[in-house]
Amino acid sequence: MDLAFTPEEQKFREDIRAWVQANLPADIAHKVHNALHLTREDMQNWAKILGKKGWLGHAWPKEFGGPGWNSVQKHLFEEECALAGAPRVVPFGPVMVAPVIMAFGNAEQQKRFLPGIADGSVWWSQGYSEPGSGSDLASVKTRAERQGNKYIVNGQKTWTTLGQYGEWIFCLVRTSTEGKPQTGISFLLIDMKSPGVTVRPIIMLDGGHEVNEVFFDNVEVPVDNLIGEENKGWNYAKHLLAHERTNIADVNRTKRELERLKRIAKTEGVYDDVRFRDEIAKLEVDVVALEMLVLRVLAAEKSGKNPLDIAGLLKIRGSEIQQRYAELMMLAAGPYAVPLIREAMEAGWQGDQAVARCAPLASTYFNLRKTTIYGGSNEVQRNIVSQVVLG
Amino acid sequence: MDFDFSDDQEQLRDAVRKYVDKGYTFERRRATEKAGGFDRAAYNELAELGLSGLYVPEDDGGMGMGPVEGMVVMEELGRGIVLEPLAQALIAGAVIAGYGDAATKAAWLPGIASGEKLVVLAYQERAARYKLDVCEAKATQAPGGYVINATKNVAPVGDQADAFIVPAKVNSQLALFIVERNSAGVTTSGYGTQEGGRAADVVLKNAPATLLTMDGQTALEHAVDIGIAATCAEAVGVMDKTLAITAEYLNTRKQFGVVISSFQALRHRAADMKMQLELARSMSYYASLKLNAPAAERRAALARAKYQLGNSMRFIGQQAVQLHGGIGVTDEYIVSHYFKKLTQMEMTFGDTLHHLGEVSARMQDTAGVFA
Repeated sequence: MDLAFTPEEQKFREDIRAWVQANLPADIAHKVHNALHLTREDMQNWAKILGKKGWLGHAWPKEFGGPGWNSVQKHLFEEECALAGAPRVVPFGPVMVAPVIMAFGNAEQQKRFLPGIADGSVWWSQGYSEPGSGSDLASVKTRAERQGNKYIVNGQKTWTTLGQYGEWIFCLVRTSTEGKPQTGISFLLIDMKSPGVTVRPIIMLDGGHEVNEVFFDNVEVPVDNLIGEENKGWNYAKHLLAHERTNIADVNRTKRELERLKRIAKTEGVYDDVRFRDEIAKLEVDVVALEMLVLRVLAAEKSGKNPLDIAGLLKIRGSEIQQRYAELMMLAAGPYAVPLIREAMEAGWQGDQAVARCAPLASTYFNLRKTTIYGGSNEVQRNIVSQVVLG
Repeated sequence: MDFDFSDDQEQLRDAVRKYVDKGYTFERRRATEKAGGFDRAAYNELAELGLSGLYVPEDDGGMGMGPVEGMVVMEELGRGIVLEPLAQALIAGAVIAGYGDAATKAAWLPGIASGEKLVVLAYQERAARYKLDVCEAKATQAPGGYVINATKNVAPVGDQADAFIVPAKVNSQLALFIVERNSAGVTTSGYGTQEGGRAADVVLKNAPATLLTMDGQTALEHAVDIGIAATCAEAVGVMDKTLAITAEYLNTRKQFGVVISSFQALRHRAADMKMQLELARSMSYYASLKLNAPAAERRAALARAKYQLGNSMRFIGQQAVQLHGGIGVTDEYIVSHYFKKLTQMEMTFGDTLHHLGEVSARMQDTAGVFA
């Protein structure tokens, strides 16, 4: 049993750090470090920079162009990116749909779709949730009717993250109403420029446009866009979820934000307030414990022995910790978190920097209330964890 | 970065688990509790397995093993809520080996390893509470060495031990000494403890003492950190078993025509207990893996670990009782004994609030497993 990374792993980390230092644009890092608004261009620029290096699909199998990193290397790569202030990679293309296309798509589909995902040039969206299908995802109703060599799609998806930028959307659609709901779902790739596709913003409580509704009104989708077999879509979606889930703990970003919390607390004069400081200390231990949990999962994956069945714990704890640091940052600013000054959340605002520092804090707190809800709500996650304990 | 156990470590675990499962039943434990809370015969059985000499170097008659082996052993003893305080042998073996001179080591280490000498850390003073830099005990030079005047409380099995490791001040400097229980000037008054074990108050009046080290502050902090790591590991074993007992109860107990494990509120409670167990296990690994780090890093790490363990022990102990309903608060049923063990460990080597203060005082700009 050994906590330390190997010399090879250390060298790998250093190489990644150097590359990120040289290739992450400073203006993007500045926005990330200060929780300022990131534009579509910011996010896509970073995706393209990674794509050019072959690292946007950094978890892809080697046969599809991935760098062939093990679980520890992937973790170190993500950590160096997060610590340096790289934006979160928009996962829908490289992390969510690409593995499904690689595992279950045919050669033509792989050739058609994977390059645009790998180089960051095509923006993908996820079409899973519906107004009537949140936790109960298998109950999806968006219908795909086979007509000749087309599917006619009617229905509505919701919570489509950054769907306003999306060019393609992968959808769980209903192709049969017989039998259990899970057995009538297909995995369909849809061009968002198709006639009949409408994207409508959902404004979140922080005032931001991050999620959308996507309406499908008699949208024609070539049969060639069906992944795998009809009515097997649920299995393909589950395959995705079964993969390593240490990212969901977001511990790397959280360590960076814990440092930022301390900086904010010092600037706002509460770091030496014993009660406030104690709250930060509690969170610090929570972060260390979460990181240890992540490292245990990674080490188990790396060695292949004794796999740990605790992914749900990572999601539950990671999300609660994210919410807590956001809350403490807001509380550190106290009354100065109250003014709602949207201009001050943009990079380059020339006003009072004390105002700029406090401007995003309440918004971030409000926004991150989503973390315990999405990705399988923490209540559903507890159902799953309880099965590990109780059977 | 590797959290697998070696084959030797797995074998050690199996050996201790077999002993606990077969040789240390709950009935035997209850009998020991009734008889005063300590059974020398049981302690000798642990010694026979080599466990009291785990941290004693091989050259001195011990096993010469390290923190991970100690962690594995303490986890297994925790599963059986073993009353005999093996952690004290780990502390004594490590501290005498690490800080004693050749003569002291020769005089004590073989006996600690064989089990013939049960040596415990007697450091608790009312004025100090959990602080390690407050000590009213005084050591003065005398023919043949030193004499100590002190009152130390809650020394584990203090009225049964063969000797004590005693912190005392030489003028204003903290030093560690060894005092034999059967020396002149030593009186002990023993009592049962909440977990069913035994401890004693130790009063020293001009009691002869052998100097262990003048570097007493360093050595005492090290001793306590070894104790914290051992306690964390023991607690993981206790909590693992507690959760298993609770799960079995939930899956067996029927009310309203169904097993109560079908109720979501109780399932979520079990999930939350699993969360606390895995966070605790993670921090117990962290504590043991940081035990040989430089002192400042080690102190900070052990404080973080004990803080997490404190929260986990409280939650799992309290909820295990709760989920058992009425039988959870009886003496007859086993789960209350696990709960009382967890409770006593909270008040051993510093509680959650104390270690929160330590973490808070030691906070740096960056934080993480490696920072």
